[in-house]
Amino acid sequence: TMDVYFGWRHLSQVVGNKRMRMTSSFQWLLSTFILLYLMNEVNSQKKGALRDLKCVTNNLQEWDCSWKAPLGAGRGTVYEVCIEDRPRSCYRLEKTNIKIAALSPGDHEIRINSLHDLQSSMSKFILNERNVSLVPDTPKILNLSADFSTSTLHLTWNDKGSLFPYHSNVIWEIKILRKESMELVKLATYNTTLSGKDAVRHWSWTSDMPLECATHHVGIRRYIDCPHFSGRKEWSDWSPMKNISWTPDSQTKVFPQDKVILVGSDITFCCVSQEKVLLAQIGHKNCPLIQLDGGNVAIEIHNISVSANSGTNVVFTTEDNMFGTVVFAGYPPDSPQKLNCETHDLKEIICSWNPGRPTALVGPRNTSYTLFESFSGKYVKFKRVEALTNESYQLLFQMLPNQEMYNFTLNARNPLGRSASTILVNITERVSPHAPTSFKVKDINSTAVTLSWHLPGNFAKIYLLCEIEINKANSIQESRNVTVKGVENSSYLVAVDKLNPYTVYTFRIRCSTETFWKWSKWSNERKHLTTEAIPSKGPDTWREWSSDGKNLIIYWKPLPINEANGKILSYNVSCSSNEETQSLSEIPDPQHKAEIQLDKNDYIISVVAKNSVGSSPPSKIASMEIPNDDLKVEQAVGIGKKILLTWHHNPNMTCDYVIKWCNSSRSDPCLMDWKKVPSNTTETIIESDQFRPGIRYNFFLYGCRNQGYQLLRSITGYIEELAPIVAPNFTVEDTSADSILVKWEDIPVEELRGFLRGYLFYFEKGERDTSKMRGLESGRSDIKVKNITDISQKTLRIADLQGKTSYHLVLRAYTDGGMGPEKSMFVVTKENSVGLIIAILIPVGVAVLVGIVTSILCYRKREWIKETFYPDIPNPENCKALQFQKSVCEGSSALKTLEMNPCTPNNVEVLETRSTVPKIEDTEIMSPVAERPEGHSEAEPGNHVAVSYCPPIIEEELPDPAVDEAGGTAQVIYIDVQSMYQPQAKPEEEQDSDPVAGAGYKPQMRLPINSAAEATAVGDDVDKTAGYRPQANVNTWHLVSPDSPRSTDSNSEIVSFGSPCSINSRQFLIPPKDEDSPKSNGGGWSFTNFFQNKPND
Amino acid sequence: MSQREGSLEDPQADDSVSLLPHLEAKIRQTHSLARLLTKYAEQLLQEYVQHQGDPFGLPGFSPPRLPVAGLSAPAPGHAGLPLPERLRLDAAALAALPPLLDVVRRHQAELNPRVPRLLRRLEDAARQARALGAAVETVLAALGAAARGPWHEPSAATAAAAAAASAAGVFPAKVLGLRVCGLYSEWVSRTEGDLSQLVPEGPA
Repeated sequence: TMDVYFGWRHLSQVVGNKRMRMTSSFQWLLSTFILLYLMNEVNSQKKGALRDLKCVTNNLQEWDCSWKAPLGAGRGTVYEVCIEDRPRSCYRLEKTNIKIAALSPGDHEIRINSLHDLQSSMSKFILNERNVSLVPDTPKILNLSADFSTSTLHLTWNDKGSLFPYHSNVIWEIKILRKESMELVKLATYNTTLSGKDAVRHWSWTSDMPLECATHHVGIRRYIDCPHFSGRKEWSDWSPMKNISWTPDSQTKVFPQDKVILVGSDITFCCVSQEKVLLAQIGHKNCPLIQLDGGNVAIEIHNISVSANSGTNVVFTTEDNMFGTVVFAGYPPDSPQKLNCETHDLKEIICSWNPGRPTALVGPRNTSYTLFESFSGKYVKFKRVEALTNESYQLLFQMLPNQEMYNFTLNARNPLGRSASTILVNITERVSPHAPTSFKVKDINSTAVTLSWHLPGNFAKIYLLCEIEINKANSIQESRNVTVKGVENSSYLVAVDKLNPYTVYTFRIRCSTETFWKWSKWSNERKHLTTEAIPSKGPDTWREWSSDGKNLIIYWKPLPINEANGKILSYNVSCSSNEETQSLSEIPDPQHKAEIQLDKNDYIISVVAKNSVGSSPPSKIASMEIPNDDLKVEQAVGIGKKILLTWHHNPNMTCDYVIKWCNSSRSDPCLMDWKKVPSNTTETIIESDQFRPGIRYNFFLYGCRNQGYQLLRSITGYIEELAPIVAPNFTVEDTSADSILVKWEDIPVEELRGFLRGYLFYFEKGERDTSKMRGLESGRSDIKVKNITDISQKTLRIADLQGKTSYHLVLRAYTDGGMGPEKSMFVVTKENSVGLIIAILIPVGVAVLVGIVTSILCYRKREWIKETFYPDIPNPENCKALQFQKSVCEGSSALKTLEMNPCTPNNVEVLETRSTVPKIEDTEIMSPVAERPEGHSEAEPGNHVAVSYCPPIIEEELPDPAVDEAGGTAQVIYIDVQSMYQPQAKPEEEQDSDPVAGAGYKPQMRLPINSAAEATAVGDDVDKTAGYRPQANVNTWHLVSPDSPRSTDSNSEIVSFGSPCSINSRQFLIPPKDEDSPKSNGGGWSFTNFFQNKPND
Repeated sequence: MSQREGSLEDPQADDSVSLLPHLEAKIRQTHSLARLLTKYAEQLLQEYVQHQGDPFGLPGFSPPRLPVAGLSAPAPGHAGLPLPERLRLDAAALAALPPLLDVVRRHQAELNPRVPRLLRRLEDAARQARALGAAVETVLAALGAAARGPWHEPSAATAAAAAAASAAGVFPAKVLGLRVCGLYSEWVSRTEGDLSQLVPEGPA
């Protein structure tokens, strides 16, 4: 029965354990078995059998088995429990449980005989370890403490490991509840392994909420996973709860205080307050309140941003108070970057690094650094400095004796974390020496010095590589590297050779190690003058014979510094011939020439330079000068400050060529400088700072032949040509009526400033003060130019001039450098008397002839004339003919009162052929100023001059060209004969005189009349005048010379004499006063001018 | 009875023209110093607030005016006290301020080490408060008023109390600094006002 029972029980347990995994298809089978089991139970109780033998253990060594008493069994029932396979293992007891030693694995039969009221019943059970449950004892919390500053709970308990086999695994489950409402905030598991002994276990937990703000409760239970126990293992019960709460002991009301957290993390702040908290804010942002027990509140901050240096303020505000805390959100230290360790002196190691990303934490929260050297185990700490973000940090580490390898670890740490960087260095290869000090230079000889310096450091075991920089004036910088063995006393010495004597050098030095790492900084510079040596060469020598040919002057140049090798104190000059040697006394240095009286024998001159050390090799030069008959002076012009001289190779010249030069204005012996070039040279460039533009220099090329010099070429030249600074002096040698002879002088060479290329001669009509030769180059047509390119020409005759005319003459010289200044002169040509006579006679003859012809015609046509001009009443006031005059002259051909055709016989036509272009006497230079403008009346095609009848009106000095044109081609010009004999008046005076007052023609009636008033009257209303009037305004008549500009302007070639309407005008009209008569600008008048077309006419 | 009207200790009871020239010059000099420091104190307060972070300096932020050990705020009835008494209080407050300002400077040196101008202003303020206090005491002595009372002694306890307050936390230290700077400004301004009544021409 028991077997069946246990079998069923076991089965039910199995079913119970695995029922969750059963499939639905077996559910009907399970129901059947349960039913059968219940029926068996009922039957058993009816029979008084024991049931429900259960065994549990809490230590695996002892089993506590219990059973349920049968129905009816009560107090006084005795149970006899026998373990069948264990000897003497029957126990009598009165309770329903028994503690037995753990049985070995396998089935064990247990018989329990119950005795009650002399009735007994026996039950058999099969007991197996698999049926035993392991339920550990409830653990006890030894201690629960809190670190409020870190919001951490610390829990300790005893694991009771001695009760269980060694290496049993234990799972601890810890629950943390918060607030009075016991909200579960944490359920953690903690695994341990038992050691066979009792051990106190620790567990810590950090709360996200400050522990001060709410009570926290903690409980623990365990589960022992003993691998050798095959029974069922169960969790122990929860330990009694322990709690942590904060007792206010200070003013602090807000938690956590001054916490440092990682940027981006979450944090909860709470405020312990008896007052009602109204507002919570972080920075300037308000936060929602979370209510805790009592009046406490909390706020949660998610993903906090980086704080300023002074932190982020969290403030809780009550009705009348304010509480706050500060949180510092930053970063853990970045790995130290660019960690580098080196030494300046092999005594102290300097490690520098860059802190990397800023932590945003300063002050006591700033990163601290520790430099640890692993081989020696020594370390140094970095003293906190509030350096700027990107500054490099440095730490000094004292070097250890006999240690070259160093393994440094730089640890960085701040409240948020730590980082490290490492570097392994052989410090002898990381030497960056200090700048050398006490740098000195000492002489060894004229070409060598020693350099000494001090380099602090312990370099005894290594070699130093030093760079010496050598600077010399006007020379390329030189660098030399030297390797020196390191010494303990830090003093170093090297020799520097291959220097130049008597030369100022500037030295400086820097050092590194042979295993180069870095150069030191440069030492200070030291200037040093090397000592003197004997001059390496003799001076460059030349000689000149004095002007009288008796003395030979020896010149020499000072030796350049690299050849003098010292300060030249004096020179020794000697001359030797085959017979004797003559030596002069010592010549002190500043003097570089000597004069020796010599005969014409051949001498060799020797010059030696001496300094404090010794004498130079002698420079020798022959005194003899070989004549050269085939010599001509050439010209040359330089470029810039240089002049190029070339010559043909002359095989006879065995030694060098010499070019000497001098200012041409200096007297002989002239020598500015000379230059020697090798005999195989055929050209050289002469360059000197002494050369000046506009100065003429003479260059002489000498060839050296058998120790004698022969002048090969003589060249005159300029470095740069300039324009002459003076004008040539010129005078008028002769003057005639139509020509002037001009003569000029040479310009001195000093004032010429270039090779003379010619002269420009300008002339024009004009008088002093009124005509200025302005704008010579501006193309004025009234200026004639002669370009005289034959520089040997010193005179010029200017022909074809007008008589008794003032001419303005200008002469200037020019070179390739430009035009020189002008020199001007005014000359008046003489009067031409023959021409004057002809000029008088011909017009008179013509006038007479015209008069005769006119008289004849008038006589023959007298009836027609009478009808036409004097119909019946010769009353001029009724004569309409008086109305035509002005309008006709103004070009109104529509008026028929006076027809021009009847006057045709009065035309006089003069023909002549002229050049259309003004003549330029010298064709080499075509000056535009000689051109006459087109459109001028004289340039009209045909070149004929018509002296024709014109209606009797003359408008002189017509200001309006339109009126001038309207005047047509015929005008009458009244000539003041007397003015021909007047002294030449100035044009200005002419302009000032009143032309009206000087009117030549007077009407036959009403004389005299106030001319001015009459002019107005006539001009306004001719009809109002009484008697006969000329048909024009006589006040406007001017006597104009044909060659005057004004006559030119008014077509002076068209000349008429008298008016056919003026019956009494067969005479020259003479003005009453000379000064009232119009004058010509030209001041003179000649017959030839009248008929010839002069350029200025 | 109004102190200004009757007290013999009140220099204003005597006409200001009775002041000796050198005393008058000293008063003017002290008054000028107080006026200058008033401006500096305002600048210090602004600079201090600027570097404490929000909500310091925001409108509406007014932490409680907690008492500072060894230094009280000017009493509301300060203006009603006799002038020498007022000057004595001024001198006492000015003497108490330097150690407090030093505490604030040390705290700010850890909190804002990269704001040298604020640190320099705090250092200057301590020195200037000391100088102004000494000048006021000199004026008081010249006026024949007792300069120092037992409360005048620069108290190490004051500084210790302030340091302890700073150690309580960064936020309380910030508030303490704000309070000290505010008190400095108030006392310097009050001193300037009190001295202005001694200046012959009246308030500047």
